[in-house]
Parts: sequence; structure tokens; C-alpha cells
Amino acid sequence: MTAGTLSNRKIASDNAFLKALIRNVVPPIVAVLIFCVIWQLFSTDTFPGPVQVIQDAFSAEDGPPLINPFHVGGAEDYWGTVFNAVVRGTGDTNIGLFWLVMSSLKRVAIGYSFAALIGVALGILVGVNNLLYRALDPIFQFLRVVPPLAWVPISLAALQMNEPAALFVIFITAIWPILINTAVGVKQIPSDYNNVAKVLRLSKQKYFFKVLIPATVPYIFTGLRIGIGLAWLAIIAAEIVMSGVPGIGFFIWDEYQNNYITGIIIALLYIGATGLILDRLVAWIGTKVSPA
Amino acid sequence: MSPSSTLVEVEQLGKTFSLPGGNEYVALKGIDLTIKQGEFVSLIGHSGCGKSTLLNMVAGLDLPTEGVALLDGEKIMRPGPDRMVVFQNYSLMPWMTVRQNIALAVDEVLKDLPKSERNAIVEEHIQLVGLGHAADKPPGQLSGGMKQRVAIARALAIRPKLLLLDEPFGALDALTRGNLQEKLMQICEEHNVTAIMVTHDVDEALLLSDRVVMLTNGPASKIGQIMEVDIPRPRKRLEVVNHPHYYSYRSEIIYFLNQQKRIKQLRARKKSDVSRHGLEKVNLEIGFVPLTACAPIAVAKEKGFFVKHGLDEVSLVRESNWRGIRDGIAGKYLDAAQMPAGMPIWMTIGGGENPPLPVVTSMTMTRNGNAITLAKRFYDQGVHSLTDLKRMLLESTDQRHTFGMVHPSSMHNLLLRYWLASGGINPDKDVQLDTIPPAQMVSNLQSGSIDGYCVGEPWNLRAAIDGIGFTIATDLEIWDGHPGKVLGVREDWAIAYPNTHIALVKALLDACQYCADEANHEEVREILSRREYLACDPAYIHLGPPHATACNLDHPMREYAHHQFFGKGVNRPSRTEHLWMMTQMARWGDTPFPRNWVEILERVCKVNVFSTAARELGLTDIAYSRGAIKLFDGSVFNADDPIAYLNSLEIKHDIYMAEVVLDAPSAKAS
Repeated sequence: MTAGTLSNRKIASDNAFLKALIRNVVPPIVAVLIFCVIWQLFSTDTFPGPVQVIQDAFSAEDGPPLINPFHVGGAEDYWGTVFNAVVRGTGDTNIGLFWLVMSSLKRVAIGYSFAALIGVALGILVGVNNLLYRALDPIFQFLRVVPPLAWVPISLAALQMNEPAALFVIFITAIWPILINTAVGVKQIPSDYNNVAKVLRLSKQKYFFKVLIPATVPYIFTGLRIGIGLAWLAIIAAEIVMSGVPGIGFFIWDEYQNNYITGIIIALLYIGATGLILDRLVAWIGTKVSPA
Repeated sequence: MSPSSTLVEVEQLGKTFSLPGGNEYVALKGIDLTIKQGEFVSLIGHSGCGKSTLLNMVAGLDLPTEGVALLDGEKIMRPGPDRMVVFQNYSLMPWMTVRQNIALAVDEVLKDLPKSERNAIVEEHIQLVGLGHAADKPPGQLSGGMKQRVAIARALAIRPKLLLLDEPFGALDALTRGNLQEKLMQICEEHNVTAIMVTHDVDEALLLSDRVVMLTNGPASKIGQIMEVDIPRPRKRLEVVNHPHYYSYRSEIIYFLNQQKRIKQLRARKKSDVSRHGLEKVNLEIGFVPLTACAPIAVAKEKGFFVKHGLDEVSLVRESNWRGIRDGIAGKYLDAAQMPAGMPIWMTIGGGENPPLPVVTSMTMTRNGNAITLAKRFYDQGVHSLTDLKRMLLESTDQRHTFGMVHPSSMHNLLLRYWLASGGINPDKDVQLDTIPPAQMVSNLQSGSIDGYCVGEPWNLRAAIDGIGFTIATDLEIWDGHPGKVLGVREDWAIAYPNTHIALVKALLDACQYCADEANHEEVREILSRREYLACDPAYIHLGPPHATACNLDHPMREYAHHQFFGKGVNRPSRTEHLWMMTQMARWGDTPFPRNWVEILERVCKVNVFSTAARELGLTDIAYSRGAIKLFDGSVFNADDPIAYLNSLEIKHDIYMAEVVLDAPSAKAS
């Protein structure tokens, strides 16, 4: 009797797990399938459907760079080519998508780091100083809504070189949410904390590290999270425009020029996945760093 | 620093906030407050009365727009750790542990001490509030009570001169609050902490404070009253309530707060005068206290006598005690009121440390209807007369005997004192007299917090019927036909609304006549028993004609006092009587005896208003002037030489004479 009940319970809990699985996994799978079917229906000679994409990806002619993300075209000096592409941002563009993504990420990392550093610093400055806030906030609000692509010609004209221009576009795109959120965070420090600091007459330095920064961290990370999304958005736009550099954005543009849609579609999958991972990564760091 | 030296001085402090749109809001105005070293002071008042603003200005978090706040003689210009604040919402840094939070304060403020000593202070204060087990937890993992303990520990750890608490226990549940109050009190007593606490909890204020500062409602809040809480320390939360003064303190604060609320309501609905029928004002607010003696006012309203005389829009305002009547008249939100007979004189002279305010009376509404009741146990102990009472008091000098009366200016107070004094009992030395609202007398007698009282009906009869007390003396034994309640209005009101005043007296005279007619007694009793008046069983309400039933100690259940509402010499205000009351108030040191007593009598007793009203009603035979007053002890009072009379009295307070300066009569009000 007891044993029966126990095993019944186990079945019941297994059933519950299965049910949860079915409830959460089946709908997206079905949705993807339906999406693929519709995509297939709308595919034409110039725009391949999913079946065509899979076929092309595995074909001998185009296969290696698409299927093997670590593929390197020339292959005489594998790591040398990778080093050139990822670290120096030059050389062979015919390499696996993973390395292309890494190459783009390096630019993002540089541009975004500058944006984060300067954005947070400037945000704190603007947040604690009301005069500065009133003076600069309208400018920030104005620049914030300029789309990344609009910065490309200006930065190219100003910097004359592809690489710094790309970095600048990332920087200028990512900085606004970081800056504005930081400023708001500083402004939103509960007056209770400030009152405690005032009553204790905390030194500037102590106030900064023990009150201001901890209190603002959640806001800073919200800004950083929006910023990373925008930075990733901007690098694709920047690379599309600036030709000849190894990177996932240029790859898309190159494939388009060669009228090779399958490559674009697979690159899209990489871009989406990378963006998602970046977003989650920053969010995760935020939860680790933010005070309880 | 000596224990009694002044620590905080607040002088003429004011705070005005500018509002968006260019307006200004005056939050506080003219605040004067001095706080001594080691004193615990509470600020109490309704929400928005500026009590937190006042605290913040002492803290230096906010600066006054007028006046100055001094700490140790130095002007408070900015916040500092010598005035540590315990905020309502704890204000702990959530990213730091309990220990780090306290250390943040200690390390900054006591940075001259060596590290080891600072750590020792932190640990000491963690232990002081009993949080050793939680020292390494962040505030997020603590309950509200624990967080507030951390905040208190942080505040005490930096050894502030002054501790400022802004509703420190407001967000806590009752049990935690109680424990924390005791803890705080214990710490404050042990460390001789000076503290100012903002609260809206009356019991909390009483438990913790040496003084309770009550703030009036905004805008332009000011200190309405400061009450000393004279309950010995150390206090225990569950024991302070047993202190004989606890409930009078408590009701004092609650009265103040209720009064503030009422003033706000009355201000909100303040209407302009409605003139009609040749009367200057027909929309009157008339105050009364629920007693059998309020019959004329109730009848005038219910039987339409007000309307008959053109006063179409009279609303009656029920007050639970006489102080409410005084404040209502002084605060100008009552037009007229039923008053204890002595109140017009008392207010005019400036009794109870109030500034003199000329009040006139033009009619006596009732006579008699008062009695002295003692607790039943005295009857059982054989105390049946004043002589017995005196003997009993002499036999039990170790006990304190407390008697209740309703207001310093009421006949109850004067008669009770007169009665006691005539038996050789000094009402201030041999017994204690407490002011208690009429409706609370019986319950106070029952709970044993008073031994007897003098009050108007139905509260004597009720105690007798319920077997709680017995009537030891009625009107007949003290002064048969003494004035009970009178009609009182401010002098400026009487001058501004002369015709209304006459109409009012006429309406009330008609009502008095109605009440006096025995045929109407059943109906009047029914009216009085209604919810808006006495809200009690008509069995307790009697209007019987005088002498119908004598006080009979063999049948303590049957006696009652007898009201006189109407008749020869009943209603006409009597200067002699008011003069007698003036002498009695001076006799007990409540007021000085005015050198200009003749002027005061002239101004208070408006016989001409009464005469006009009576003549217009065709009641010529009731305008009769009494001669000398004859009291039960055989003494005769005549109005020729009140000072000689005062000097002839044996038991009395030190009498002082003073010129009472009154403004020239004018209709400046409303």
C-alpha cells in the first residue's frame, strides 16, 4: 500500500517534470518550426529557404568557413592568421565565424570599455553637481537619440581610419545609457543615506566609496547592460560600412556583395547568440557586484 | 557640565518653505524651547504639523528661515555627529553588515582613538542592543526591530551630546515597539542621554519623556502646550499606567490632539455670518456638555424655540468636557455655550494661566442639579456625613484621597471645596482634586482612581443606582438654588451681535420655561436620553421639582438633586453670585482677586440683555434681584465687602490681589 503510494508519487512528480518540460520547451520548438515553414514558403531563387541554407552550408564549396567556426582559409600559419584577425584586426577575412565574432568583440571590448569608464565617471560628476546636470542633460538627451549609423560618416571623416572610427562609433553609441543611468543613480541615492553621511560628516573619499558607489551600482549596471546591447548593435553597423576588416559585420556585407545569402543568415545566428550572451554576462556580473 | 544646565535652546524658530508656483508655506512659527542636559523630550502632533521639520532643524539637516537653534550656546548651522539622528526608516547602509554600519560611524567620528579602542566601542554597542548573533549580517536579513536597534547602537556609539529620534518605532509591531522602548529608556537612563523624539504615539511619549511638547496643526504650527511628565524613573512600561496621574496626562495629550483635529475641521467649514429676520447672525454654533442641565439647550433646539426667535441655523456642538467649551469660545469657533456658572468670570480674569478674555453672561440657565458623591465603600465604613469624612481622613493620613470635579471654574469645584473646607478639610492639602470630564466620573469612581466627586446630574444618580457610590450631599445640603449653568458668549461677540444675543436669550428662556413645566418632563427626559445628548437610559435622568425627595442616607438609592430651570430669580444673572464665585476662585489661589472687581462684574453680568429679552417675552415677574447669599454653614455673603469676607475665611490659599487689565469693550471679532 505504502510502496504503491510512493511509486505513485514518483510517477506523479515525473509527470509534473515532464509537464513542465512540455509546457516550456514545446511551444518555442513549434514556433520555430512554423517560422521555418513560412520562411520556406516565401523562399525564392534569390532568397533561400531553410532547406537551401542547410544544404549550402554543408556543400563542399562554401562549407568550411560556415560550418567550421574555427576555420582559417590559408592555413599556412593558423595562429598567426588568427592573431592578425582578432588582435590586430587586419589580414585574411576568409576565416571561421567564431574568429570573426572574436575580432568584432575585440573592437566592442575596447569601445565599450572607454564608454563604461568615461560614462560612469562623467555620470557621477553630473549626478553630484546640479549645475552640470542642468547644463549637460539636454545635450545628452539630444545625442542619445542619434542612431549609430549616423555617427559612421562623421567619425570616418574625423578620424580618417577604419579601425579608430569603428571604435569611436561603438563608444559614442554605448556611452549615453551608461552616463545617464549613472547620473540618475547618483541623484536617486536615498536622502536617508546622504543624511547619515552629513550627520556623521563623512569625508568625501569615504562618502564616495562607502555610500555613493554602492548605492549607485544597480543603476550603473542597468546602464552597462543597455550599453553592451547598443555597442554590439553599433559594431555590426560600423563594420558593414568600413570595408576590409575581419569581423562579423564586414562578413555579412561581403557575403551580400557576393550575393551569398546563406552566409548572411548563418552570421545572423552568431550575432544574435553573441548579443544574448553579452547581455546575460553583464547582467550576471551586475548581480555579483551589486550590494544585497 | 552640571546635570541641569541647558543643552539646546530654540528661540523664535520659524520655517517657511517656498512652493512651486511662487507660493510659500509657513511650516513652523515662533518656536521657543529649552532642553536641559539629560532630559528626554517628545514632540507630538498630527501629521504635517512640522514636528519632523523642527527635529531636522535641531539636527542641522534643515536650516530655519527665522530665529535660531543653539546647542551649548552655539548656533546650529549644519549637521554634525554631536546631534546624531535615529531615522524612522533606520537608514542603514544595506551593503554593509551590522558591524560595518556601526564601524562606519565610529571610525569617522572617533578617528582620534586607536583602532583597537574603536573596535571595542563597536562591539560594546552591538552587545548593548543585544545583536551579537547578527553582527555580521547585512540589514536586509534583519527584522525591523533589529534594524532599529542597529540604528540606535550606531547613534549611541559615537557618544552624541544629543540624540534625535524621528518616529523611531513607528514602523514596528506593538510587541517589538514595547521592548525597544524599554531598552531605549534603560540606555538613556544609564548613560544620561539627552534626547528629542518625534512621535505620534501618546503612550510612547508618556513612557519615555520628561516633557511632552505638543505642536498645533499647520500652517504656522507652534507649540500649543508643554506638559511635564512627573512619573518617577526608572519607569516600566507595564507599570507607568498605574501611576495615579498617567491617565490624566494621557487624556490631556489626547484632548490636545483631538482639539487640533476639530479646529482643522471647523476652519475648513467656517461659514460667513448669515443675517436674517433683523438678526445679525442666525447660523450659530452653540456648545454644550451632555448633562441633565443641558435640557434648555436641547429643548430649544428640538422644540423649535431657536427657530421661533429667528435663529434658523443653530447647530449644537457637543463637547465632552468644559475645557472644550472654554477653548471653543476662546478660539472663536463657538458662538455661545452652556458654561459652568463660574466660567465667564474665570475666563474674564484669566484663570488657568490663560490671558484674560472678557466673556459675558446674560442668563442663568439652570440652578441646582449638582451633588457630591462618595464611593460606596465609605458608606459601608460608616462615613455618612462631612464630620465622618473628616474623621476618616484623619485616621488614614497615609493614604491619598482624590476627588473629581469637572473644571476649576465650575460650581462643582467651588462647592466641593467650600463643603470640604466648612468641615475643616483643606481641599488642597488634605485631599487632592482632579479635573475629570463629567461622563468619566462614574467609571473613575468604579475603578477606584478617585474616592468621590462633585458633578452635575445624571452622574450622581447613576452612581447611586448602579451601587458604585452614594450621594453624601446634594444642592439642599450645600446651597439650595445655587447657579448651575449659565449662557456665556465672548464680550466682542455680544457687542457685534446684540440682537442675536437677545434672541438667543429669549429662545433659551422659552425653553427653560418649557423644561420647568412638570407636564413636559417625560418628553424632556426622552429628548435628553437621545444619542446626540446624554445617550443614556432615561431612568437616570430626573428633572424633579425641588424638595420633592430629600437626600436620605437610609435610602442611598433614591435621592437625587433637583434642577430649577425657570422661575422667580432663577434666570436673571446675579452680580452677587458671580462675586461670590470670584471670591472662591481667589480663595483657592486659582485667580487673583481683582482690585477692579466692580468693573469686572459690570462687564460680565449683562443684566440689560436679560431684562430686554424678558420684557419682550412679557415675563416681567421673573426679573427679581436676590439679596445676600445664605450657605448651609450659616455664613451669609453679601456683596458689600468681598475682601473682608475673604479675610474672614479660615481655610484658604494665599490670596493675592491684582488689577486685571481688560481691553476696552469692542466688537473686533469674527
